[in-house]
Amino acid sequence: MERVIEPSVALVTGAASGIGRATAHRLAEAGYVVAVIDIDGRGAEAVARTVDGRAFTADVADTEAVTQVVHEIETRLGPIGLAISNAGVYDEVPLGSVTDEHWQRMLRVHLGGAFNVCRAVVPPMRRRSTGSIVLVSSELALAGSPRASAYVAAKAALLGLGRSLARELAPTIRVNVVAPGPVDTPLLLDRERTPQAIGTIPMGRLGRPEEIGEAIVHLAIAQFTTGAVYSPNGGTVIQ
Amino acid sequence: MNDAAPVALVTGAAGGLGRAIVAALETDRMSVAGGTHHGGAFAADLSDPGQARDLIERVVARYGRLDVLVVNHAAMTMAPIDEHPVDDWWRVVDTNLSGAFYLAQAAAPHLARAAGAIVFISSEWGVTGWPEASAYAASKAGIIGLTKALALELAPDVRVNAVAPGIIDTPQLEVDAAAAGLSLEEMKATYAAETPLRRIATPGEIAATVSFLASPGASFYTGQVLRPNGGVTTAS
Repeated sequence: MERVIEPSVALVTGAASGIGRATAHRLAEAGYVVAVIDIDGRGAEAVARTVDGRAFTADVADTEAVTQVVHEIETRLGPIGLAISNAGVYDEVPLGSVTDEHWQRMLRVHLGGAFNVCRAVVPPMRRRSTGSIVLVSSELALAGSPRASAYVAAKAALLGLGRSLARELAPTIRVNVVAPGPVDTPLLLDRERTPQAIGTIPMGRLGRPEEIGEAIVHLAIAQFTTGAVYSPNGGTVIQ
Repeated sequence: MNDAAPVALVTGAAGGLGRAIVAALETDRMSVAGGTHHGGAFAADLSDPGQARDLIERVVARYGRLDVLVVNHAAMTMAPIDEHPVDDWWRVVDTNLSGAFYLAQAAAPHLARAAGAIVFISSEWGVTGWPEASAYAASKAGIIGLTKALALELAPDVRVNAVAPGIIDTPQLEVDAAAAGLSLEEMKATYAAETPLRRIATPGEIAATVSFLASPGASFYTGQVLRPNGGVTTAS
């Protein structure tokens, strides 16, 4: 992998596990100083140690907390060149059982988390006339999924946010979306690990977090790519 | 009750597109309850889950059934992402997307009994994004996800589809024109010039797509997004 020429800071939310952790590792390999953000502060510390980065504890749904963390990163680590909004939660709930709290939490974590990160990083990126943002959505946002209406709606809303910001912030800041398919992370349900479930994936296996991290970093540094939605999904959605 | 006319609830019924949808469904011999933000028997603030649920129950109490839900209401603001007041941003998302969800959730059991249909109004901007319209575009893109998720979950009892219209000749255009510092005619000409069909849509044209998706003629459509947009975007 190409290394960045200038040391640059990359922030990753939801970086204590799964895709976020793999992305933090890939970014460190590529030469970035990584700000590891997670609601699980101890998990973030553990990842930060392995990538020689720095851990920050925040709930991405909290606008003030995200603003504060971005300010701290800029002050303590330096200018943020890349922002990866990845934090998410997954839960299957039939429509009739979705509580108002569940709906709101899904929307605030996924869409709100991305909104909060973008709001905080855009002004400094704009001042420096450079920056790149990647929002992590889901393959389920492209094709839908039963018993996941709140999750799918929130992840689909990210497509609209990402595409709008790509138009709004060009040519200064690039904004792209990665929509991963079934990946072997802590969010994956046991049901999705069965041989029958894996048999429905054309590639015949689950994705590895490292593969998604690779895709995220590729999009983050692809200089002619903005407003793209890239879905490494093992062929589960072929459009 | 079986021989009574089918019943539709259309939200945002006082707006330019809403009135056309009500007229189209009435032409199709449906009884239509017009949901509004202010005034009338079916007024509600749909960003509030309690009011959304109450609206569905009021319609069912009044008509005895619900066959079609058309979620057409919308809030709209435009501002750069980092200048957008946070409360306004969420008001747009919660009105458009959360409101759509609350209504669909409350309506689903009634619609299932009637083998009914939901038609969500998304937007071309929900498909393509639009600068300084991040809240609106996110809400309308979220509605497309909601359409697909609910189509899979509520099948085979309820069909769920969406319409993502291009620019429509409605009073909302005056707001766009004022924001762009143009006259209404200049605004229409600008949008028309960007559209292969060289004009903007009439509300009736969009309402025709909505009433089609609500009708028995669309009985094999579910989870789909129809895009009457004059060809402004041909990519899927």
